[in-house]
Amino acid sequence: MKRTLSYKLNIGLFLLPALILFLVILIAPIAMSAYYSFYDFNSIAARDMDYIGLSNYKTLFSRFLVNAENGMQYENDKFMGDALTNSLLLAALSVFIQLPLALLIALKLSKGIPGERVYLSVFFMPVLISTVIIGRLWMNIYDPGEAGILNAGLRAIGLDKRLFPWITARLTSSKLEFTGQWTGFKETALLAAFIPILWQYVGYHMLLMYAGILGVPSELLEAAELDGCSERQVNRYIIVPYIKPILKVCVIFAVTGSLKSFDLIYTLMKDTTKAELPSTLMYKLLFLHNRYGLGSAIAVILIALCFLFALLISMAFRTRGEKVA
Amino acid sequence: MKKLVALFVAVILALSLCSAFAEGEKTTLTMWCIATESDANRPAYEAAIAAFEAAHPDIKIEWEAFENQSYKTKIKTAMADPSTLPDIFFTWAGAFLGDFVDQGNVYCLDEAYKEFAADLPEVMMGNASYGGSHYGVPLTMNIVVMFANMDLLAQAGYDDVPTTYDELIDCCDALVEADITPFGCAGSETWCVTEYLEPIILKTIGYEELGEIFAGSATWNDEAIATAVDTFQEMITKGYFDPNGISLGNDQVKANFIAGQYAFYQNGSWNCGEVNDAEGNFKVCLFPVMDAEKATYSQVIGGPSDTLAVAASSQNPELAAQAAFELGKEICHYGYLAGSGLPAWTPDYDTSEVKALVADVAAMVAAADGMVLFGDTAMSADPANTYLNFVSKVYGCEIDGAGFITSLASALQ
Repeated sequence: MKRTLSYKLNIGLFLLPALILFLVILIAPIAMSAYYSFYDFNSIAARDMDYIGLSNYKTLFSRFLVNAENGMQYENDKFMGDALTNSLLLAALSVFIQLPLALLIALKLSKGIPGERVYLSVFFMPVLISTVIIGRLWMNIYDPGEAGILNAGLRAIGLDKRLFPWITARLTSSKLEFTGQWTGFKETALLAAFIPILWQYVGYHMLLMYAGILGVPSELLEAAELDGCSERQVNRYIIVPYIKPILKVCVIFAVTGSLKSFDLIYTLMKDTTKAELPSTLMYKLLFLHNRYGLGSAIAVILIALCFLFALLISMAFRTRGEKVA
Repeated sequence: MKKLVALFVAVILALSLCSAFAEGEKTTLTMWCIATESDANRPAYEAAIAAFEAAHPDIKIEWEAFENQSYKTKIKTAMADPSTLPDIFFTWAGAFLGDFVDQGNVYCLDEAYKEFAADLPEVMMGNASYGGSHYGVPLTMNIVVMFANMDLLAQAGYDDVPTTYDELIDCCDALVEADITPFGCAGSETWCVTEYLEPIILKTIGYEELGEIFAGSATWNDEAIATAVDTFQEMITKGYFDPNGISLGNDQVKANFIAGQYAFYQNGSWNCGEVNDAEGNFKVCLFPVMDAEKATYSQVIGGPSDTLAVAASSQNPELAAQAAFELGKEICHYGYLAGSGLPAWTPDYDTSEVKALVADVAAMVAAADGMVLFGDTAMSADPANTYLNFVSKVYGCEIDGAGFITSLASALQ
């Protein structure tokens, strides 16, 4: 009995430093954010904090607010619904476009094609490059002037003046040669921002999946070959099920990464209102509007959503008899 | 030989120790600002700091410069823990500095100002004064002006800048006819859109009403403002603005103007030096009057906004206050000569070398019969950014004048 107690005490003592770090670095900031989200205060100095309960959350999810003095309804510029929809759309694109593409490349590269190492490096390179540099790079691609590669390409194939006529009609005279102010309008800015985000992390997921595929026992693959399985069947019935834990991790990273996405969109567009995401809205409310209660509420919502999606994805990937971690 | 080497080393060590002690007597003042390498004010800061250190060999200024937008985040974050603030920091006057003053994080400069009052008129301290006390040292002052490329205007048959609204519209039509884009405006930086919208509103409703609206004592819900917004949008839809501008930044739009792609570029007078030094024939003017009953041509948007302030948490607040005034005066001096702003301080130096465009703007300020500070500086952070969100929608034609005034009035009330 004494020995068991001493054993448990030892374990506790060894776990204590990690537990303290976990509490101080992770749990305490979350708890502080949750606490601040119930208050209205407009300075970091945190003086004159007014307790307002769930009002911050209500404000974030109200598309229209009513002016208390004249009863007039007006559009709420702090509405989070659109930003949340945008990030869920990004998550869906990540899961249904980015990950299948990464899987396809990983499957092809794992077959030992010539120049495998070169391809691996090339696909992984965007992950290594700073997001700010990638943002600048894509700004040049989207440049609406002569320097823009995308518009130059469209002009070269005669697509100028024909794209998005409804935006053209709304904004300018018919004289305009519209080949795309890709980051300038709501209609195109979101997609223009999503493409580089998706492109940047294809290589990251590809590398995870590639490593997983290399771990598939060769006996299994040889047995399948002896049984006369086609490449498609090997991929579908052996490799993909075998790397399921890695796929689960990739899906969790893709979805939570989409919810947290900030840096590339911020670099690409100085005015993020055209492609707002929860994290860009949070930044604006915290550091431009000085609305720390509202910003903290978005932080809490993001944390909750990340945990929720991680849990749901774990459940979706759970096989019979397996417990959700 | 060994003795000689030992003696040499001992002498060197003794000298280093002496110099270390001598260094130790120096007082170090820290300063944050936004004069990065690419900033037009950088040379003025460098020259001012060098002059200050030469005049005060016992004081060392350790300064860091940050990019404009990231600096706003940095300074606000530092306010949460005043011990992280430098002794002297750059800030914008009006509500931006006002928030820090409310927090009690800014040292009052009333005592230090007395020594400099003769060179720095009280009126220039107004935007950095709260509750009757002074909290900031103005550097240069700036107004919104309309730069005109006279070579392009000549191609459209104009040999001078338009001075009335009808003339401006005729001129724009002639420019479009000649296949020249009249205006360039950076839509990806909303403050650049306000450089167009605010003068139009000013010349429609006058400086007194606009000043009251920015101060929050009058409402945005005014039919005249809706008309001004509709006028701006009409100019956009008539093709007077470069459509590519919606996704361009200010640096690119300015470069396009200097390269001769636009006939007009309306922005801050801090660009005077750069435009003045560019190849071509440029003039500077103001946006014409829209409603002569309420506004005059010489009413302007702007005023002293760039400011140095002293942190209340400074270890040497009195010394820092003295340094802030001396640095402010010299930054103003060198900035004025370089064309990056107009003097908030009364010049006590030779101004014959001042660039032509800067001198023209100085004359406009001298003749100004009404001045309203930039909207996003005059308003405090939350309303200012809500206002910018709505301005962004105006440039994208997502809302019209009526939508702008009703939504903004309700959101800010």
